[in-house]
This record gives sequence, C-alpha cells and structure tokens, in this order.
Amino acid sequence: MSRKNSILDLKSNPLAGVVAALVLIFIISCFLSKYFLTAFNMMIVARELAFIALITIGQSMLMVLGELDLSLGMISGLCGVIGGVLMVDQGWSPALAFLVCLVFGTLFGCINGVLVTQLKLPSLVLTIGMAGVYGGSNLVLTKGIAITGLPPEISILGRGQLLFLPVPFLILLPVLAAAAFVMFKTPFGRYMYAIGNNAVTAIMLGVKVDRVRIVVFAVAGLLASLAGMLMVARLGTAQPSIGESWVLPPIAAAVIGGVATTGGVGGPIGAVLGAVIIGIIENIIVLFGISPYWQSVVSGGVVVLAISFDSVSRRYFGRVG
Amino acid sequence: MGSGISNVAFLEVRGIGQRFPGVVALKDVDLSIEIGKVHVLAGENGAGKSTLVKILVGTQDPTEGTIAIDGSNPLEHREMFDYVAYVPQEINLFPNMTVAENLFIPFNKTGAADWVIDHGKMFKAAEELIARFDISARPGQLVKDIPISDQQLLQIARAAARRRFKVLILDEPTSSLTSQEVERLFNIIRQLRADNHAVIFISHKMEEIFDLGDDVTVLRNGERVATRPLSGLTEPELIRLMSGEEVRMDQVFYPTTAPGETLLEVTGLSGYRFHDASFQLRAGEILGFAGLVGAGRSELMQTMFGYLKATAGHVKVAGKNWKLHDTSFSIAHGMLYLSEERRQHGILPFLSVRENIGISIFDRTVSLGTIFAGRERHIVSDIIKTYDIKTPSMEKQIMFLSGGNQQKAIIGRAMACHPKVLIFDEPTKGIDVRTKVEIYRIMKELAERGVGIILVSSDLVELRKCAGRILTMHSGSLGGEFLTKDTDNETLVRAILGAGEVRNVA
Repeated sequence: MSRKNSILDLKSNPLAGVVAALVLIFIISCFLSKYFLTAFNMMIVARELAFIALITIGQSMLMVLGELDLSLGMISGLCGVIGGVLMVDQGWSPALAFLVCLVFGTLFGCINGVLVTQLKLPSLVLTIGMAGVYGGSNLVLTKGIAITGLPPEISILGRGQLLFLPVPFLILLPVLAAAAFVMFKTPFGRYMYAIGNNAVTAIMLGVKVDRVRIVVFAVAGLLASLAGMLMVARLGTAQPSIGESWVLPPIAAAVIGGVATTGGVGGPIGAVLGAVIIGIIENIIVLFGISPYWQSVVSGGVVVLAISFDSVSRRYFGRVG
Repeated sequence: MGSGISNVAFLEVRGIGQRFPGVVALKDVDLSIEIGKVHVLAGENGAGKSTLVKILVGTQDPTEGTIAIDGSNPLEHREMFDYVAYVPQEINLFPNMTVAENLFIPFNKTGAADWVIDHGKMFKAAEELIARFDISARPGQLVKDIPISDQQLLQIARAAARRRFKVLILDEPTSSLTSQEVERLFNIIRQLRADNHAVIFISHKMEEIFDLGDDVTVLRNGERVATRPLSGLTEPELIRLMSGEEVRMDQVFYPTTAPGETLLEVTGLSGYRFHDASFQLRAGEILGFAGLVGAGRSELMQTMFGYLKATAGHVKVAGKNWKLHDTSFSIAHGMLYLSEERRQHGILPFLSVRENIGISIFDRTVSLGTIFAGRERHIVSDIIKTYDIKTPSMEKQIMFLSGGNQQKAIIGRAMACHPKVLIFDEPTKGIDVRTKVEIYRIMKELAERGVGIILVSSDLVELRKCAGRILTMHSGSLGGEFLTKDTDNETLVRAILGAGEVRNVA
C-alpha cells in the first residue's frame, strides 16, 4: 500500500513479513544445494518466475477488489494455442499473432468481468465454469495435440537473454512496475482498494464500481495471455496443457505476499515476492533431488509455512489489529 | 468515590490500564458494579468506553490493573466472564436462523443441548423467554423476518438465556427504536434490575441516562473523571463532566441568511419503500425530515442520490434534470448523501485516514493521471485540522478511530467535494454531545454559504434546533409540511405516527 514509510521501518511496512520469509528461504536454499546460488540457476529461477508472476499480478489485482479468477490459467493455454494456429495454420507473422492473442486474452477476461458484474455472480463460481469453457475450447481447437512448426524467431521471447537476464523476466519487470504504479499512485488504484474495502461505500463515493471491476478482469486476462504466449515461445510448441498448473500457485503467492482473500489490502509487489518464494521452493526441490512423488507435498507444506511465518511475524512486529 | 455506595460490588475493576502501541486507551480506571442497580457509563466518543467494555466481557485483556467478578479473578478463571453479557449497538444475530436457535447459541452455555438439539424442549424454553421479554415473535420464525425492535430485545433475551448471567451491558440500545419501543425496553431493564441483576448502560441521550440510571461513571480521554449517584447530578453538570467544558444545549442552529432560489425539486418520485414524493429544497435552507424508523426516509434520500432505483418521478437540481441511479453523476454534479450506516456506507476500514479522505479530492491532487502524495497530505492535513479529527496520524487505518472522529472524517471528505445539495441521514447517531454541536454548527455554516441541506433525523429536538422547515414521512408517504417556529411537538408527533393513529411500521 502507499504508506509513507521507510523500507527499513519493519513495524509498519506491510511487506516486512514476506521479505523476511524470502530472505530466510533464500539462505536455507543456499545451504541445501551448492548449485542454488549460481548464475545459471538464478537465471533459470528468474525465467520460470516470470510466467507465474504475470498471472500473480493479475490475480492479486482481482483479489484486492475482492474477486478471484480461476480461469486465468485456461486463458493462458487457450491464447497460446490460438497463437499457434494463427502462426502455423494461417501463416500470420509472429508479431501480429502475438498482438491478436493479447487482444483475445483481454477479451476473455472482459467476458468474465461482464458476466460477474451483470449477472451479479460470485466470481469464484463463475470463473470455475469459464475455466471449463476456455479449457474445453482449447481442446476443441487442438484435439489435445501440440502445435509444432512455429517460426523459430519467436524463441528469443522465451529463451533469449539480455545482460544475463532472461527476456521473460525483463518483460515482467515493467509490467510489475506499471501495476504497482496504477495501484498506488492513481485514482483508479485507489478506487480498486475502495471497492475491496467496501463496495457499497465505493458506490456511495461515486466510484463506477462495475467499470473498475470489468477493467481489472480484462487486465488479468491480458496478463494471462501474455504469460501463455511467452511460454509458447519458450517451449517452441503451442502445448494445450500450458497454464493447467497456473491456477493455485498465483493465489498462494498473493496470500504469502499479504493480499487478503477478502479484498482491500496488499498489492502486486508483495504478491510477486510471494511468487519468488514459491519459485525458489520449486527450484530447490529439483536441485535437492527430492522424488517427484514428494514434490507437491513438500512445496505445499512450505507454502503453508511461509504463510504462517508471515502471519506470526506480523503479530510480533506489532501492527495493531 | 464510592460514597453512597453501600452494597458489595459484584464486578469490580481497579486501576485498569490499556495501552496500544502509541496510544493509551485507558489509564487507571476504577469501576464497581453492584447488583440491583443501573450503572451508566458516560463519556464522549473515544473516551475509552468501548475499550473498557471489551475488558469487562473478556475479549481484551488489560495491560494493567485487576478485575474481580464475584470475588474471583476472571483473567485466571475465564469462565467468570460468562456472568457478563454484552449487547452491542448494532444488531448482532444470525439472520437466517430461528429465534429459538439465536436465543440458545452457544448451546452448552445455555444448557439447551449437549450433542443433539431437542427442538421441542428448546422451543418451549424460548417461548418462556419471549413472553418474559415481551417480544412479538414465534420461536420458529427466522430472525430476519422479525422487526428491528424485536431483534433488539431478542439480543437482550439471548444474554438472559445463559445459565450464568448477572451483569448486562447495553451499548446505546435505543438508537433504532421509537419512543414506545424505548419504553418497552426500559421496563424490561427495570425488571432485570429488580430481579437481582446489574445493568451497565451506555448512552449519549441525557433523558435516558437520567430516566434509567442509578449511578454514573464518567470517562474522559481514557481516565475516570467521576463516579456519582445520578440523583445528585444535573444535566449540565454531567455534560460538563463528560466534555470538560461548558456546552450550551439550548442553542439553535438556523441559518441566519434568508433561503435563496429553489435548488432541488422532486416530483412524484417513487421507489423501494416510498411512493409519490414531491417536495422542494431552497438554497441555504436546512430542511428536516421527521418520521419513524422504516418510514422510507432513507430510501427516498438514497433514491434521489442514485444509490437505489427510482420506479417513477423525476428530480431537478438548479433547474437541471437529474440523472437517477448513478451515484457518480450525483457526486460529480454536487449532490452528496451521508449515510446513517457509517460502517457499511461511509468508511473504507483498512485504508488510512489519508486514503479515505484522499479519494474525494482527486480534482486537486492528480496531475497527468498521478496522485501527488505531497498535495494529498497537505489537503488532508488541512481537513483534519478544520474538522478537528482526532487521530494519531493521517496514516492510521480509519477503523481504529472512534465513531465521532470517523463521522467528522466523513463530513470533512464530503465538504471537500463542494456540494450544492447535502443530505445528512441521522448524522449524530452514536455521537457525543459536544461533537453533535460541532456537526450542527457545520451544517449551519454550509447553509449560510448557500448549500441546500436535508437533515433526516429521528430526534425531534435535533430537527427543531436546526431545521426551519420540517417534512414528515409515514409508511412511505410524505405527510405534512411544518414551519418549525409555528408548530408544537404534539402536532409533529401526530404527523409522524400517521395522523394520530399509532402504528408500528418498523
């Protein structure tokens, strides 16, 4: 939140908990594997982070509003294969295909937002349904088979590097900066927090509540399609399964980062730091050589630990509540 | 202290202190509550009453001091807190559960059930309580289907349903009741007092305090100022104890300037819970709206403002046709509504005072789409000063401010929008005497600057002090129009009740 506090003021900085958890997990990881703190591994962590983090930014913006979109992962997958079809079957130029996919993602998010606000449905239930619609359309389009033969030049977006930094990570940074700017520094962001605090009060203050909600759903859809297209670029094929595992980790990341599921508090920076924690955990599990069967048990358990750590540290740092 | 207090106290606190980081909420407070008495807890908003109540019911442990309930220390024997029942100001029941279930939850504390609920037995026990507390409801009815006044009594009956029950704490129980309902409630409180219970009564209404109370403890800024029998105290003395200064209650607050042109014109407006309302408001006038709770006044106001949908009719402001059902149009063009429900309609609880006020001043803080933090802090700190909002810092989350200071922040925010028409809906509900006078003064000054003000209030004294003209509303229809100076109370009350006919429309 836009508090006027020094970063070092642990008592009142809302990010204190997640930063402390991140530092702790980072240090433990350094001890667990000698490969962890190498330039190559850090590059991998940063690259893998980007996809989940893009979804996390959108999801955390929705959560601040008090909404949730469980179809974001499916939007990523569907936009990815739409991009594949456009480039391979239709022979479109990659740039145009990319742009059209982003438009589609925005449109899908917008549809979710319009349905939630106009039918006055709980977004949780509606987007479970829409996840089925988008996921199913993906299969109708691909019959479950990956689209290969994509133009090779797109791989720079997924696998390229600039000054040792992976391109997806370089795309993430300005997106995060823009999201944080909008939420902390613009009237629109203040309206988002107002709605998440109390939608009725927001209406009484003259906020166009439905319009704000629809715009944020659309932005979340846009970011989901961006993540999906970057993943296609990284894999070199348009896999129908892209995004299937992107549903719950972003929500966990946002909660770790201090975004309340009930809305009105937290922000995208904390949420992305939460995604970094999850990324490090997944990385260290691989480096440490834990059996794949145990991986989700361990990563789930560490997520629970991270959330508890945040809540406990908050109590100790004495925020009256 | 304690002179004239003879019985042994059932509940006693000594030297209670409560510190929060950066705030001392209570300092060295003593309080003795005896069986068979109504003890009034008086003080302005933010004096520490709610903190003290939280300590008495065991939801907050004090940082200093001792508590004794019936001779033992409840901080060690937590079950002793079961003797103290608290009835909050807002209705706090389970709306979708039955009257009987609401009475006996939690079942183990009321002895109604251990593992399996015997509905027959529970309904029978509920019937007894319902009769004793004069509630008009059946045990099997859902709580949301019974009138507010009965819900209020049900909350008290629920407290009495507990196996251990000696002390009842009532926090402004009359704020949503009509005068007859208040009488019914007071009879029940007197009955409880005669029946070997103690009552702690919190209220800002002087007539109620003197009508019902035996003793009074006055808190100011977290400290106990006095404990006295009410029989030896006069109203001005009590007000002086609470505020620490003289507050003149006999003042009137009519605008001294003559009203101007017709500003607001409502014609045949109908909507949820009201129909065919027509009236006019002139610039620089304070127009009162009297009526019972549930008469449709708030609904009429919210429809004009655009929060609720109109089914017929139209509204004109300064000759301009008003767009209905669009609050952002109303705000942008200078009509503001300040709801009686501060918590639900007024504040953004987790945001700071700065962010709460800042949301209405973007016209002066935003350039190139960006909020300039310095400008925002500057304007907000001016508003905090002008409206005397007491907060340790503008970064404090607004939910930690007292009710009166939240109200001042809401009013300050509204003023920053430079409204042409301003609707106050019960602006002094739950507000202490001194802040009330400040709010009246603000209304008067605004009217003198040409703002048209509508004051919806259930308090006839308040309406008579501020409004030159009063409209009455009954069962969704506008009744008479009265000039305050030519009208006596009786005439107004008859109009409020629907031409003398006594009916409960809540």
